[in-house]
Amino acid sequence: MLSCTRRYWHDNRHVDGYRCPMIQMQRLMLRYPTGKTALSGMTMNIEKGRFAYLTGESGAGKSSLLRCLYGGVRPSSGKLTVQGVDLRSAGQGQVRKLRRDIGIIFQDHRLLFSRTVFENVALPLRVQGWKPDRLVARAEKVLEFVGLKDRLWSFPEALSGGEQQRVAIARAMSTKPALILADEPTGNLDIGTARHVMDYLMELNRQGSTVIMATHDLHLLDTHPGDIFRLHAGALAEELHLVRPGMQVSGSGPHDQHV
Amino acid sequence: MISMSDTNLHERRMPRLPGGFSLPPFGLHQWLALVIVCIALWAVGLLWLGLQAGSSWTHGWQQDVRFHVYLDKPDTQKMQALAEKLEAVPGVAAARIVPLDETRVWLDAWLGGGSQAVAEELFAALPGSIEVRPAALGGEFLYDDIADAAGALGATVNRGEAHLVQAQRMIAHVERLLWFGTLIIALAMVIIISNTLRMTLLARADEVQLMRLLGASEWFVRMPFLLEGGLLGAGAGLFAWLLLWPPLLALGDWLTQLNADVSGFILLLPLLLGGALVGGLGALLATTRMASENTSAT
Repeated sequence: MLSCTRRYWHDNRHVDGYRCPMIQMQRLMLRYPTGKTALSGMTMNIEKGRFAYLTGESGAGKSSLLRCLYGGVRPSSGKLTVQGVDLRSAGQGQVRKLRRDIGIIFQDHRLLFSRTVFENVALPLRVQGWKPDRLVARAEKVLEFVGLKDRLWSFPEALSGGEQQRVAIARAMSTKPALILADEPTGNLDIGTARHVMDYLMELNRQGSTVIMATHDLHLLDTHPGDIFRLHAGALAEELHLVRPGMQVSGSGPHDQHV
Repeated sequence: MISMSDTNLHERRMPRLPGGFSLPPFGLHQWLALVIVCIALWAVGLLWLGLQAGSSWTHGWQQDVRFHVYLDKPDTQKMQALAEKLEAVPGVAAARIVPLDETRVWLDAWLGGGSQAVAEELFAALPGSIEVRPAALGGEFLYDDIADAAGALGATVNRGEAHLVQAQRMIAHVERLLWFGTLIIALAMVIIISNTLRMTLLARADEVQLMRLLGASEWFVRMPFLLEGGLLGAGAGLFAWLLLWPPLLALGDWLTQLNADVSGFILLLPLLLGGALVGGLGALLATTRMASENTSAT
């Protein structure tokens, strides 16, 4: 089924990506206390080192799925395993530990506007117990990656929307997470800025992080290919695997199509 | 895009702590809580200072406290019997028959060198006097026991001297009441600080939620608020202590006249530590509610 043969690595260990799934789910269901069913019987696997897009119309279940992946909500039924942690039965401690190995990027970036860029970027490091004297150096390094090293002591309100999103990316990558979840990170950005943001995410993926991104911006897939999981009404409607920008595609699902 | 000068403006407005971290926001709620807790601690401090003054005053007199028992138409035998009876009262250290020449010296001093004829007349009318010295730990009913013993032989006790004992008893009651009042005020301060921090928590809900999303432990999330509560309480305690000095200085002469030894320094640590304690407890209460309400981030 999967045509890609490249190998992925994480934590300096080469891993055969297809034999080491990062995320496994079977007949996953999520029903909110209000009675609304967000996910209904979703089954999919995402291997380590992949760049996966979650697409679909509004209300298809993209954000709910991402919430499930970082333990924000507990699935109602089915099976969901993220990095070997069964999120249906995991305790709070396990969920916390899992979250420390996940970088999350939001559409509204959720930066703390009363804190400097440094404090925003260093927050995950502090949560992980990094020594204070190492924080500035690490923050500078990740901000250099997104081209904002000179804004270390600025406040987010002084940055443009694109710069704020780049700070959010820097925050998400500061702890070198194995998994990065991005919920429509380009939703509020113009095309040029969105492509830059995608370049950074692609680079993180090349460095070994698995990236799962919910998006409506299908035009980005032309220049930044990856696995595409199209959701519809809380279920997986289609699964496509782009292996390089030359549009080689393998797919499955009820409506196979080339992108 | 902004210029570097804009950035510097922000940096000037928000001074950084060592390590590059900004000071937590200190807004209207914090100021209000600081003022309210400061006033409450000041009131408590004043009450305890008052108690200290009262206690010091009565204990100063305690060193010289003597009950005088008077017997009209004294004769030596009756006076001796009364002295023995008084010495037998529990809580009495000694009973001494005051010699007549000592009484005469006292009377002359009291009259301030007035008319000799008046002094002679008064001296002739003076009753026989027995000085009773209580033991260090005189019982609560010592005065009544002495009065009973004296009354059995037709003698009377100087009432004015008994007022001192009553004052001491009253101060002991007041101290117990003050402990209770302090406890109630501390509880109120805990609730005030708890509510203040609860509002701060709401204002910083995004920060708390983000920390949870990043996998922060409960104590990691709660610790900044606990520190803030403790510092707020300790700050209020410090201000309250400083505000105790104006009344202390204003009443200094009067307290000296009363021979009341009052020290404001004694209250520094209790107010600081007490303030920090109620602040910490308030923060604990506020964040406990937060922890129980929001166990998972969304």
